[in-house]
Amino acid sequence: MKFLGYVLRNTARNPIRSTLTIASVAISLFLMTMLVTYLAINNEVRGTVKAYNRIITMSSQGFAQPVPIAEVARIGAMEGIEAASPLLWYGGKYQEETLAFAQFGIDGDTIFKIYDEYSIPPDQLKSFQQDRSGCVIGRKLSAERNLKIGDRIPLKGDIYPFDMNLTVRAIYDGPENRDLRACWFHWEYLEEGLKRDFKGKGAGNAGAVVAKCEDGDSIPSLCKKIDTLSLNSDSPTRTQSEEAFLKMFSEFAGDLRVLIRNVGLAVVFSLLCVSGNAMAMALRERTREVAVLRAIGFGKLLILFLVLAESVFVAVLGGVVGSIGSKFLFDFFDVSRYSAGFLPFFYVSWTTALAGLAVAATIGLLSGIVPAALAVRNSVIDGLRKVV
Amino acid sequence: MSKTHAIQLNRVAKEYRRDTFRVPVLAELDLDVDEGEFLALMGPSGSGKTTLLNLIAGLDRPTSGEIWIRGQELSQLTDSELTRWRADNIGFIFQLYNLIPVLTAFENVELPLLLTSLSRKRRRDQVRTALRVVGLSDREDHYPRQLSGGQEQRVAIARAIVTDPYLIVADEPTGDLDRASAEDILDLLEQLNREFQKTIVMVTHDPHAAERAGRLLKLDKGRLVDDASKSRLGAVS
Repeated sequence: MKFLGYVLRNTARNPIRSTLTIASVAISLFLMTMLVTYLAINNEVRGTVKAYNRIITMSSQGFAQPVPIAEVARIGAMEGIEAASPLLWYGGKYQEETLAFAQFGIDGDTIFKIYDEYSIPPDQLKSFQQDRSGCVIGRKLSAERNLKIGDRIPLKGDIYPFDMNLTVRAIYDGPENRDLRACWFHWEYLEEGLKRDFKGKGAGNAGAVVAKCEDGDSIPSLCKKIDTLSLNSDSPTRTQSEEAFLKMFSEFAGDLRVLIRNVGLAVVFSLLCVSGNAMAMALRERTREVAVLRAIGFGKLLILFLVLAESVFVAVLGGVVGSIGSKFLFDFFDVSRYSAGFLPFFYVSWTTALAGLAVAATIGLLSGIVPAALAVRNSVIDGLRKVV
Repeated sequence: MSKTHAIQLNRVAKEYRRDTFRVPVLAELDLDVDEGEFLALMGPSGSGKTTLLNLIAGLDRPTSGEIWIRGQELSQLTDSELTRWRADNIGFIFQLYNLIPVLTAFENVELPLLLTSLSRKRRRDQVRTALRVVGLSDREDHYPRQLSGGQEQRVAIARAIVTDPYLIVADEPTGDLDRASAEDILDLLEQLNREFQKTIVMVTHDPHAAERAGRLLKLDKGRLVDDASKSRLGAVS
């Protein structure tokens, strides 16, 4: 501790260089923390949906291809299936916002049997079921946009040419790790609009089908059965558990885990170069000082320790700003509201934040080793002769 | 080894290697310095006086010969032992002061004490005593850039004496100072030698500075060419 003052003063010796080094570590770790958090959230959500025994059927050709609405009834009637609903992504604009929040066309009679972790007041559910242009919105969407029962939600079609004018009839709630910002409307409302105003263009499409199974053990056989039945049809399907579906969804951009790991390694390496270069420059300017310290009795190990303490301190400061800072920032500022349902929530866990801090400390340690070793390797006499 | 000598050099030689060349700097030099002596080393550039000072201070090792300081033969010590030995026995004064610019005068003087197990209070007391001896009690919170050259050198002297070292080595301590400041520094060194019985070895180019020492040694091409007492100083300079 008695050397702490010396270490801190050295850190502040060149404020611009230290600030830039801290900033580079902070920004990189901030981005890394976000990427890791994104993965962690996907994992967390995936991990919790397993208990709900849901399966999702989509076109075997991908999301862009329709699943005929007839599939909903066919799947719903199968043995081992409790309920089924279309799950049609509308993707409309709300006021001037694009990707405002998720909007799905669903079956109002079955959707809350399928998503039974959500709660909805019975009278509101009944009101929604009775109003073809009604919709159900999540608690967070209601709170953030001050939408109340009876308010109108005009949505301008983007994928579909039909504009919708929905009325809020119910507000659902649920666990924090679920999307509480979605807007669910009657699939029939869109279907009728498309048939009425656009000659049925885009109609008959269920998007995907979500169904609740009676038990988890039957999921593999049910998935296989559903896909086998549609194998020789015009619209072959691909059915999987909700957990597998979410995994597939999160990996659309490639193998995210590998991608993030590689990006992370590249970031750590570049940070090592940046921090190492800063320390090397700092020590080069202090060659004479290091020689003086050694002359008056500071041992090589002590000087090594002081240099490493300095580089670790700078890197950890960057880690605190970037990693711990991101934790507090996202605790305060919830970016998931801008993700249109892709992220039901976004918060940086303490585990992730502290891991970021550990990465910063490691970067500081590794980046300081070479400059520190070079500094103590010089002879005292050469160092004292050095004029910088 | 005689116990009456603070410093004893027996046939000490030093040569440097420059690529394939061997450059002799000191040639089998013998020297005795008594405890409490104030010795000045003079000589032209390249004569080996700083090399000799570095050997005495344990900053460098001789190619051959023995160096005894306070009963310790320095070649017997490992690098880390030598570092520790310097901390315990040597006080350094450099031509360019070599203060740490980000530390205050107090903190600069305290540096050698950080290597000891002294309590914070004891360290503070010793630093204040050293600063009082050099007449800078009122400047302890000043950074080197806020001090004059003479004041910086006095802080450096305070740093050199704060651990109460056995030997003070000074390499051109007045070389970067104006005449008045140089006189102050020389007064201080004389005072340390006279009042505190410190053994001082000082390298200087300045005959006037050498005049303040009790004994003068002149080196030329790595050999001692004269060992003059203070009274004969004029003749060798």
